[in-house]
Amino acid sequence: MTMNRHEPFEELISASLSGDLTDAERQRLDAHLDACAECRGTLAAFADQRRIVAGLRHLAPPRDLGARVRTGIEGGRAGALPWWRRPAAIFAGVGGGLAVVAGALLALVLLNGSPDDPQIGAETPSPTATFAVPSPSPSEPSAPTLPPIVAPTAEASPGESAEPPPSVEPTPTPVGSPEPDVFLALTGPLDNAELSVRDGSDVETALTDAETPAGEPIAAELSPDGEWLAYVTSLGLSGMNEVRATRIAGGEGPAIGATYVLGQSIAGGPFLEHLFWSGDGRQLAFTVADPEGGGTDVWIFEPDAERSWQLTDVGNAYAGSWVAGRPGSEALWVSMAGERPVSYLLSVDANDEAINPADSEFPAAENAFQPIVSPNGAFVIYWTGSMERAGDEWEFTEAGMPWLAENGGDGDGGYEFEQARPLYSDVTIDREAFNSAAIAWGPDSDAYAVWDAAWTGPPQSTIEDYPVENRVYFGHATDPRGLTRVHAIDAGDLPADAYVVDVKVSPTGRHLVITAGRPRPGDLSPPLADLFLITRNTGDLADEVEVIRSGDDGWYGPAAFIGHPRIESP
Amino acid sequence: MAVPGPIPWDVPAVSRRAADHRESEFARLFEEYSAPIYNYVLRMVGDPDRAADITQDTFIKAYRKLDTVTEASSTRSWLYRIATNTAIDDMRRRRMVSPMGDDAPTYANRPDDRPGPEAQVMAATLDERVQRALLQLRPNHRQCLLLSDLDDMSAHQIGEVMGLSYAAVRTLLCRARGEMRRALAAEGFAR
Repeated sequence: MTMNRHEPFEELISASLSGDLTDAERQRLDAHLDACAECRGTLAAFADQRRIVAGLRHLAPPRDLGARVRTGIEGGRAGALPWWRRPAAIFAGVGGGLAVVAGALLALVLLNGSPDDPQIGAETPSPTATFAVPSPSPSEPSAPTLPPIVAPTAEASPGESAEPPPSVEPTPTPVGSPEPDVFLALTGPLDNAELSVRDGSDVETALTDAETPAGEPIAAELSPDGEWLAYVTSLGLSGMNEVRATRIAGGEGPAIGATYVLGQSIAGGPFLEHLFWSGDGRQLAFTVADPEGGGTDVWIFEPDAERSWQLTDVGNAYAGSWVAGRPGSEALWVSMAGERPVSYLLSVDANDEAINPADSEFPAAENAFQPIVSPNGAFVIYWTGSMERAGDEWEFTEAGMPWLAENGGDGDGGYEFEQARPLYSDVTIDREAFNSAAIAWGPDSDAYAVWDAAWTGPPQSTIEDYPVENRVYFGHATDPRGLTRVHAIDAGDLPADAYVVDVKVSPTGRHLVITAGRPRPGDLSPPLADLFLITRNTGDLADEVEVIRSGDDGWYGPAAFIGHPRIESP
Repeated sequence: MAVPGPIPWDVPAVSRRAADHRESEFARLFEEYSAPIYNYVLRMVGDPDRAADITQDTFIKAYRKLDTVTEASSTRSWLYRIATNTAIDDMRRRRMVSPMGDDAPTYANRPDDRPGPEAQVMAATLDERVQRALLQLRPNHRQCLLLSDLDDMSAHQIGEVMGLSYAAVRTLLCRARGEMRRALAAEGFAR
């Protein structure tokens, strides 16, 4: 790029109009203007333009502006923290170690006092007050590790134990209600349904109404502090989704029920419709496929600042999960899709200009896509393979496979994925493998669920179709067998015509709450959705299935659990 | 367990005085800055209704964060910064929703059944033509130019609002002026 000889003086001319010149600059400019007709023309043009803008008509604001502001302020004062969402006072202001001890004691009491399989509708303790998960940094020696890999043996019959074998030391699991803490529900007549956020207790209570979208909610994540519910809804038959956040609890700040539209995106696959809250609940990362053809990029919502902003501007970026750090300094995995995907750890700062993840200060994770770190930071599930653009998003077209690894620090602010192994241990990865799948960790950081798995290769079982998109696979990181065919929930757990919309693993790591949609044949009416609680059984015992809410009159779900309470730093 | 409702309590005298001070300070800010902020935002987005909404949100946010303002001299920059961020957020959202609704600025979208661009230019009011030119600018150029020329801010003050260095503001403002010069020329302004 070349600079014309007038350019330095144009900046001085511009600055002179607002009195931003030093004496030396003024003298230099004056001397140049005496000899340069072109710059005198620029000065005249800039001065004219400044006069024109300054002379723009000043309009009076609307008369009711003051009243509107007052109404907004008064609305924000409402909303004391509801009793069920109050943080446990015992944890507040206490060091992490003490909080962990207190949590363990509470968990013990509740273990003794509650049945293994609490009945739906039975009075259950508030999860927020009953457990605390230790949050070891990945480098701590006490962090759980992956067991040695055990190669799958001859194809087992259905019904084989899907639980980790007894030799595997289980990860301590917190205790909580198997019910969803909250869930979304479209209520009222289907042609005029309203969206509400509901408490998952026996007596269904509408916590707040959200602004009703044009379509059904398909994904939801509760912020770790339980104050915000972020969710994705479809926008009718438009082929678009909308990302929203609704305040459902909390004191200061926006009123309960305040809903923010964070962005609209082309509807897509599981890589696109994944929401990631930071551990401190201060930021939500999500991916948007630009309807104007700009590709996929990562956006950030900051509830405290009541704003969302675009983090990346590269057209092939996807949000991954956050990596624990000090509150306010967590790093975010951002992946760039491509023939060979690459993931970058980013420090997220609110800048006006969107960034290129490749400029990250941390080393890149080559051939790793959308890392999803377990809540305690010990494990990570990420994708490898070769990707291609498919319409407005990206998917794996060659050797696509999720991998499980220990998530270790390299001691220098970076990461290391150690002991990596394919998540599915009994499928053969060839050119054709997985296009994509949805994956969610349980709050216990051991259990995980996989669904919506788009397998393009030949069937991997002679007994049944496997892997299949409409089954949910439920595994544990500490299970040396990895994920296999027998880890699918029973085929009869969900209605034959249902499709899996969303899955949440309960805090106990034993249950799944599944939102299952059912299309209504014959017309374009919105589908129905039920919430199911699945208790995965071992051996020849069939899974236990209970319907939490039936969607005969509408759409219930997705559900959301509180993962683990925030432990205040001393 | 009873679900607690609002807890009745008396505001201590000291707190009440602080609250009164806060209210009066906010009232003063609103009185002094609501019109300039509204006009700044109006020229940023080119739509009176959106400008009113953004101004409303700006002052609601300002009220909630009033305690964070420490120096009286920076109050104006602080308010404009909130307004700028709120307007940017609004524009980003609008950009994303464009296929679903009417996103483009009102001025640019206004239907016109007159014969051609030249007649349109000549028929439009001066105000509309300048607004159209402004909307051709990149958002950060538009902010910078408006803060300088409409609100008569110095490069230092613009830097406070936009979070830029003094040198960066001068460079940005120069580029904005060049861009605006071309946009005005396209609207039929001579020179």
